[in-house]
Amino acid sequence: MICAGIDAGSRAIKIVLMDTDSRQVIAKGLIDQGVEQDKLASELFEALLKHSDINKKDVAKIVATGYGRNAVSIADTTITEITCQAVGVRQLVPKAMTVIDIGGQDSKLVQLDRTGKVRDFAMNDRCAAGTGRFLEVVAERLGIKLESLGDIAAKSKRPAVISSMCVVFAETEIIGLLTSGTPREDIIAGVQAAIAERVVTMAGRNLELPIIFTGGVAMISGMDLALKCALQKSVTVSPAPQMTGALGAAILASSQLNRRRP
Amino acid sequence: MKTIIYTCPYVPAEWIAAHGLRPSRIIPDAAGSTGPVVPIEGVCPYVRGFVNEVITGTQASAVVVTTVCDQMRRAFDIVVRKGKLAAFLMNVPSTWQSVAAQKLYLDELKRLGRFLIGLGGESPSTDALVKIMLEYDTARTSILAARGYLTSRRYSEAIARFNRDGKSGITRDITDKKPLTDGIPLLIIGGPLLREDFEILDVVENSGGRIVLDATETGERGMCAKFDRRRLRDDPLMELANAYFGGIQDAFRRPNSELYNWLKREIAARGARGIVFHRYVWCDIWHAELRRLKDCIDLPVLDIDTAGDNETYKHRTENRIRVFLEMLQ
Amino acid sequence: MSNTPKQITLQEWDQRYEQLQRAGMHQPDYGGPLGRHVEDGDYRLLKLRYDNSAAALRLWNFLLTEEQRLYQARTRGKKIVGTMKDLGTVPVMAYSLDNLVAFYPDGAWWIPCVMELSAGLLSIADSLGIDESFCPVRAMLGAFVTGAHFPIPDLLTCSVGATCDDFSAIAQRLNSLGYPILWWEIPHRRSPEHNEPAVKLPGGFSAPKCQVEFVKSQLELVKTALEELAGESLDEKKLSAGIQKANQVRAYLAELRQLAFTAKVCPLPALEMLVAEMLAIHFCSDRDETVIVLKELVGEVRSRVKAGKGVLAADAARIFWVNPVADLQVMNLLEDCGGRICGTEYLFSHALDTIPEDLPPTEALARIALADPMVGSSVDRAERICTDIRRFGSEAVLLSRIPGASHCALEGEVITEVVQANVDIPVLEIEVPPVTDSIRPTLRTRLEALVETVIERRKR
Repeated sequence: MICAGIDAGSRAIKIVLMDTDSRQVIAKGLIDQGVEQDKLASELFEALLKHSDINKKDVAKIVATGYGRNAVSIADTTITEITCQAVGVRQLVPKAMTVIDIGGQDSKLVQLDRTGKVRDFAMNDRCAAGTGRFLEVVAERLGIKLESLGDIAAKSKRPAVISSMCVVFAETEIIGLLTSGTPREDIIAGVQAAIAERVVTMAGRNLELPIIFTGGVAMISGMDLALKCALQKSVTVSPAPQMTGALGAAILASSQLNRRRP
Repeated sequence: MKTIIYTCPYVPAEWIAAHGLRPSRIIPDAAGSTGPVVPIEGVCPYVRGFVNEVITGTQASAVVVTTVCDQMRRAFDIVVRKGKLAAFLMNVPSTWQSVAAQKLYLDELKRLGRFLIGLGGESPSTDALVKIMLEYDTARTSILAARGYLTSRRYSEAIARFNRDGKSGITRDITDKKPLTDGIPLLIIGGPLLREDFEILDVVENSGGRIVLDATETGERGMCAKFDRRRLRDDPLMELANAYFGGIQDAFRRPNSELYNWLKREIAARGARGIVFHRYVWCDIWHAELRRLKDCIDLPVLDIDTAGDNETYKHRTENRIRVFLEMLQ
Repeated sequence: MSNTPKQITLQEWDQRYEQLQRAGMHQPDYGGPLGRHVEDGDYRLLKLRYDNSAAALRLWNFLLTEEQRLYQARTRGKKIVGTMKDLGTVPVMAYSLDNLVAFYPDGAWWIPCVMELSAGLLSIADSLGIDESFCPVRAMLGAFVTGAHFPIPDLLTCSVGATCDDFSAIAQRLNSLGYPILWWEIPHRRSPEHNEPAVKLPGGFSAPKCQVEFVKSQLELVKTALEELAGESLDEKKLSAGIQKANQVRAYLAELRQLAFTAKVCPLPALEMLVAEMLAIHFCSDRDETVIVLKELVGEVRSRVKAGKGVLAADAARIFWVNPVADLQVMNLLEDCGGRICGTEYLFSHALDTIPEDLPPTEALARIALADPMVGSSVDRAERICTDIRRFGSEAVLLSRIPGASHCALEGEVITEVVQANVDIPVLEIEVPPVTDSIRPTLRTRLEALVETVIERRKR
């Protein structure tokens, strides 16, 4: 039997197909998010099935997660991204005790117990200043690609201070910094530090190691360093950070299915 | 009968009623984006909602505001400048352990009495005050008895209705019902709820939870202690002050250790397994308690912050509550 | 380098320092070149501009050596009292006892600015759940946790009641971390009712007698705690002597304000005026030295005014400044934009008023505590601002909002309305975070526009 996990995030839709018995990933895919997210999810799902030569009837259970999970009509059920991220990360890093997930729309901190269950969590879904959106804004404003941010920030000797709680105002601050001749590497490093500081605000510093960093923002170089600096603890980027939510959803779909079997 | 509105639980309804006036503790429907106080960064949405309701939407004769929070104290300035109602600002001390603080509260009640008389109220006799206090005490007891039989929202609404309308607002539909036992037992704590925030209670139940203690200011925590019947007959005003000033635990008190002691007792008694912490953005008094609550109470805590923009935070809040209950399940 | 009054940079101060030394400048034990403080991490000093007088140097050195002074006091066996959310009441009591030193832990709110966030105090506050939605005074929590900026006091007092929620909540958080606090209540000041015995307060306010009696009872609690800590009684004679000393400081400040705010040419920059006024709160941990520092500064300003010399252009726009700024550099910025300070209300105007000396001392202190602008209504505060605007001839008001501060969000509107109705001058509201580098261009635009407006209004 096959199960699927669909993570309908704010910036991308991610899907993982999993063999329920072996818990092996059969296929995975990603597509940029758009207005018609249900259609996009279905198309990606179909494409993955076709590519993997799987019949739709063989997919026994589909779990959707993520910000847009309720819009995914092909899903049998939904589970929140906190639970899915915890399960997905634990699958890839079995000793993980803390998960930091920074996506395009929000950021989350999940603390796990020894068995991998969620013990506590905190979310920043009110203010875009602690999310990938902030990095997009700075990249757009500076006219550089998101993936270059880390390399440029690495040259910073004195990260700029971004004081605003709000991305809209922070954008004004970035313009102000540019006007006053602040080097772009200092601005980027300042933005990365500001995002990391918001994670500290969410979580405090008493986090159990190992801390695993996941979500789309984890793929932007320099962010792990900013988090390390703010938390004063080592932070490891998860394998396949963009896919952990979908992976967790697929695993949970398998678990639900197995529980129902005689 | 003239209506006197207020929103703070430290204003005793009995005292207003004993003066022959109608007390009505109001809950703003929403923070609102129009009115004398528009959404400004830094302004607590509840304060905004309260001021706007007082100035634009009430048929009352007077409003009583208290000093329990800085923004409400400053909101009084706006109510006086822009509103038409007679307004009274009551000093409620933050400290509580000294005799001087208790006496200050009692003196403020007497001053409130003079204000009420100025509005046409009559100074109550001891017997009249005792009678009204007993009526309110009995009414509160019947509401508390309904807790196990009503859904979370209906129970909290019953309290709100009683606060707004007095004993005529008491629910009578509990007698033939069975106690509710389903769902993970949770408590909700925080400052006051806007009326639109009551939806949170439904979301908790729909996600598999059950509120066993509404410790928001609008809920059970905002109800005064039960009166001591003997002391009540000896000196009713003093007993009223004791039951309100001494009986309502709040985060604004200094120190506020009694709030935690009360909370620990209630958690043990009601078997709560998690805490839903509700706060308004820019409410410093409650916001500062979030991390402390996590440190002090050995239960998972869900933080629900809202800026009063219900439409945008609704989805977010539902998501958070659902995650929280997934975690507890 | 001449002795002509002007503003100079820190680097220029090095040369100026040598020049003054060669000229035989007398320095106290905490004296020395200003630049040495940068080595302690006070990077912001590199970006400020300073008055070039020896008196200003002494003022700055006095301010920037407070931490050492506190540690020295402890070494000498003195007991240290942290007087939180107290702008000039309990310190007067504490300094009336020989072996007590009082300081103002809330002053840590300037550390993130002066050290350009390098001390990490705001991050520590974040981690304790006190994030940027609170006033920058949250840096105090970080300072207590690191223990790196002041010695942990032997006694902590904190006024609550009609104070700001930010500080009350932060102090409660500190308390929960294991720091005992003696809380004392200051009620919201109200007007006396009909037939209610009334008492006149400094600053032109009045209050019912019962409120003064209540505050007296609270100060008696504090007095008992101070006596226990000091191991000596604080009798009326000692307290009266302490009040007289405090009044000496206030008298110098009153003269300084009158001279600086009314002189044709601004004789002392805004920054030095701010630092000087702050001395009223807790004497920068040395009351006697405060008197000497201020005496010297007033002497310098007197001579400048007499000579008609100053540090800014004679036509600078006369601005009344409301609320203290978290970033000191903004005071320089106003002057860069063509403004000068003519009147201030940094939330402690009562600490600049003379404490009545013809009353029993505790009663006098209770009255001064009740005259606190934070304790009364925003309208009271606004009206006092209007009185000072008339007195100093201010041409515009700059309301400097403190980020996150619970009182700023609503009172700004009230102050603006009252000022415009009573004195009809422009009011500009800005917000000043601890480090303003990134918002400097927008701040500059606003300040320049305010100055331009003032200049245009002069042409009417």
